[in-house]
Amino acid sequence: MTTSSATQEDTRTEEVSRLSDPWVTIVWNDPVNLMSYVAYVFESYFGYPQAKAAKLMLQVHHEGRAVVSTGPRERMEVDVQAMHGFGLWATLQQSGAPGGSAGAGEDA
Amino acid sequence: MTPFRATPAGFVARWEPVEREVLARVARDVAGLLSADAGLPDEVTDQEVAFTGVARIPRDPAVQRLLPDAHREDAEVAAEFRHLTQTDLAAGKVSRLHTFADTVEAADDGGVAGPGSDGQVLVARDAAQDFAGALTDVRLVLGERLGLDDDADVEHLHHEVLTGLGVVEEADDVDPDADPDVDDAGLDAEQRSYWGGVFVAAGFAQESLMDEMLAELRARRGAG
Repeated sequence: MTTSSATQEDTRTEEVSRLSDPWVTIVWNDPVNLMSYVAYVFESYFGYPQAKAAKLMLQVHHEGRAVVSTGPRERMEVDVQAMHGFGLWATLQQSGAPGGSAGAGEDA
Repeated sequence: MTPFRATPAGFVARWEPVEREVLARVARDVAGLLSADAGLPDEVTDQEVAFTGVARIPRDPAVQRLLPDAHREDAEVAAEFRHLTQTDLAAGKVSRLHTFADTVEAADDGGVAGPGSDGQVLVARDAAQDFAGALTDVRLVLGERLGLDDDADVEHLHHEVLTGLGVVEEADDVDPDADPDVDDAGLDAEQRSYWGGVFVAAGFAQESLMDEMLAELRARRGAG
């Protein structure tokens, strides 16, 4: 049972984390997209070096997802829209959310 | 179908008439499906009606894959994103699918480039990314229709198609669960074989195009 004061505290904590946590763009694995196409998207759109793009692409392939970029929400919305344009399956979320911190996006 | 190769004019492959016809048709079909299910305004009938900009979630799972939710848990964030982006995204995809079909069909016109050029699909460098994107969307829709949920499904389909073409020897171990007539996605054997062939051909075309595009991108960046 959650008391009202605990709820208020949760809300405040959430507000603080909203302000401090950057957002991330996550690309999820799918069986259809070619590895070469995904590498091309990471190299051409994000401008990542070949080695970093390959690392992210393999992370998507083997672990099911990878954080491909980090930043303010508006910037991540631009990235997710671009990924959807390319046909990659991408989502955004706050980096503090479960699964949001893993990946290689922060050293971009 | 031959692999795409880089030439001074752009990326060039040779496609059989049936390959051009089928891939152009499926691209236009995907464009129509996407346009209808994403709720794009119909230019002919809706000209007088102001588009409200309210983007609805597509009903067709294949269209959902092309326009997925942008947030996994937060429906509000996903809805807001869809509201802001879906019309532009869908319109961009529809436009490049039609351009893809036009490009593929242009190969019919052997007279322009002279005799012997029939079947030559020429993709200009500045159009290659959109061409590859259209191939992606076609493959995603076909993949959904073929019930390709994981890498093993795709591998199995490739094997099936190449076996059917006589490229691979028939495997001895037959899946005991496999129904010879109807697969998981509800396609009969003939439909599966047909669309499987289209999926594999589109993948072959895209793979060879990506090899050339990646090589040029890396050479450009290495030099820059």
